Amino acid sequence: MARVMLDVSSIYKSFSEPVLVDISLHLNRGEVLGVVGPNGCGKTTLLRIMAGLESPDRGSVRREGKVGIVFQEDRLLPWKTLWENVALGLKYHGMRGEELARRVREYSSMVGLTDSDLSLHPRKASGGTRRKAALARALVLEPEILLLDEPFTGLDVKARASLREALKWIWDEYGLSTVIVSHQLEELLPLADRVYVLTPKPAKVAEEIDLRGMDLEKRLERVKEALLHILSRAGAD
Amino acid sequence: MTQGNKGADRVQGIAFRTGRILAGLFVLAIWISASATGMLPGPVEVLAYLLSMRLEEVVPQVLKTLYNSITGFSLSFLASMVLGLLSHKLPLIRGFSEALSEIFNSTSALVWSLVLVATLGVLSPLPPILVVAAVTLPHILTATVSALSSADPGLLEAVRSVGARPSDEFFEVILPSSVPLLASASRVGLGTALRISVVAEAFGSSGGVGYMIIRSYNLADASGVLAWSLVLIALVLGLDQLVLKPLERRAKRWLE
Ligand SMILES: Nc1ncnc2c1ncn2[C@@H]1O[C@H](COP(=O)(O)OP(=O)(O)O)[C@@H](O)[C@H]1O
Ligand SMILES: [Mg+2]
Repeated sequence: MARVMLDVSSIYKSFSEPVLVDISLHLNRGEVLGVVGPNGCGKTTLLRIMAGLESPDRGSVRREGKVGIVFQEDRLLPWKTLWENVALGLKYHGMRGEELARRVREYSSMVGLTDSDLSLHPRKASGGTRRKAALARALVLEPEILLLDEPFTGLDVKARASLREALKWIWDEYGLSTVIVSHQLEELLPLADRVYVLTPKPAKVAEEIDLRGMDLEKRLERVKEALLHILSRAGAD
Repeated sequence: MTQGNKGADRVQGIAFRTGRILAGLFVLAIWISASATGMLPGPVEVLAYLLSMRLEEVVPQVLKTLYNSITGFSLSFLASMVLGLLSHKLPLIRGFSEALSEIFNSTSALVWSLVLVATLGVLSPLPPILVVAAVTLPHILTATVSALSSADPGLLEAVRSVGARPSDEFFEVILPSSVPLLASASRVGLGTALRISVVAEAFGSSGGVGYMIIRSYNLADASGVLAWSLVLIALVLGLDQLVLKPLERRAKRWLE
């Protein structure tokens, strides 16, 4: 029986209108979980609730470990270098000096950031480099659960491939339990073990699909079929 | 197409600079026609007066005015930071700051000068500093409150997600985010400070460019009044163009 790292149970969330309706899902240890759904359906809101940055109106979230989150917009501090951005969390936790430097170096090189990348300010770095710095900023705190919001959006082909390699390496090495929210199926599906397909806003879980044992073609076919199904049902309403 | 645009841009640039030069000539023309009435010394006369002034006579007065302005401005800047920071959390302080700005904003430099000189005496060095602080406070305070609330909520959430405490949020996000707005406000505020400082100096006997202007006036020395006024104009323009404007431009690039 796999250990559950993150358990989301019957979550409701409204802003001016309902966004999430009765969402239940779980993340097993060492698993890469995908969450897909149409744009604006509530994926980011769900991820922020998983991270504890937003509280649900109803329902509960149980986390078995520290959470690290990477936002879609990177959200690096523009007046600090990438090195300083990666080091932020460690500094807030009181780490200093050589120990901090070692930790920053270790996780930066893990995601493929060079020393010269790290000396840049965000505005001088490429989109791919910034995304990796945001990833390293979450990883240095050694989370047990990693949440990624649209990690491939806005990156060119080369940067996407490079980020994919970095993520695979991290999973192979650490088996880090991960949730990836994305609407880019071609990027997400080769990586994910399981996906939840959400309906258009307000988001409900339409389907849970176990992708293990399927080749990429089969995975795409299966998830697209599920999305078409919910979209046609939404159109009929 | 781009070639045409470039040409048009150049013409517009030349027109703009010509406009600036014309403004200078316009002021000079007014001065010359005013001096034609015989009531006011002309530019040549004043220039000769300026050249006859000794450096060790001018420099201490200029430094005195700079000191008054910068000290007064720093006082209002510090008060604004404290009130702005507390306003962020406490509605009571927010209301207090807002009303204080409104009251100070409707009080003239003349009133502050008279009240402070009457209270502290003509020999006190404090009135110019305090007048500058009081007059610049509303502007700086308003700017500080809005600057301190200009931080991107996304950045605040990001640092919170890696364990930032409220003090980290303040020093690492809120304060740096406010640098460009504070720089603009400081540029305007310091310019105002210089012009206000001389008004307050005129009411006391503790020196400064304003004191020299009024002293020349009392001695019926019209050339002295204009010469010291030119010193003030040079000081305001020089500080703005050579120091404040470049600093503001640097600060604006900060957030990109
Ligand atoms: N803080 C908020 N206040 C008000 N509405 C919000 C807020 N956050 C998200 N929403 C709304 O919730 C819906 C879902 O947003 P989001 O979770 O960002 O969707 P997705 O990530 O799937 O594109 C959108 O209609 C959005 O406008
Ligand atoms: Mg989103």
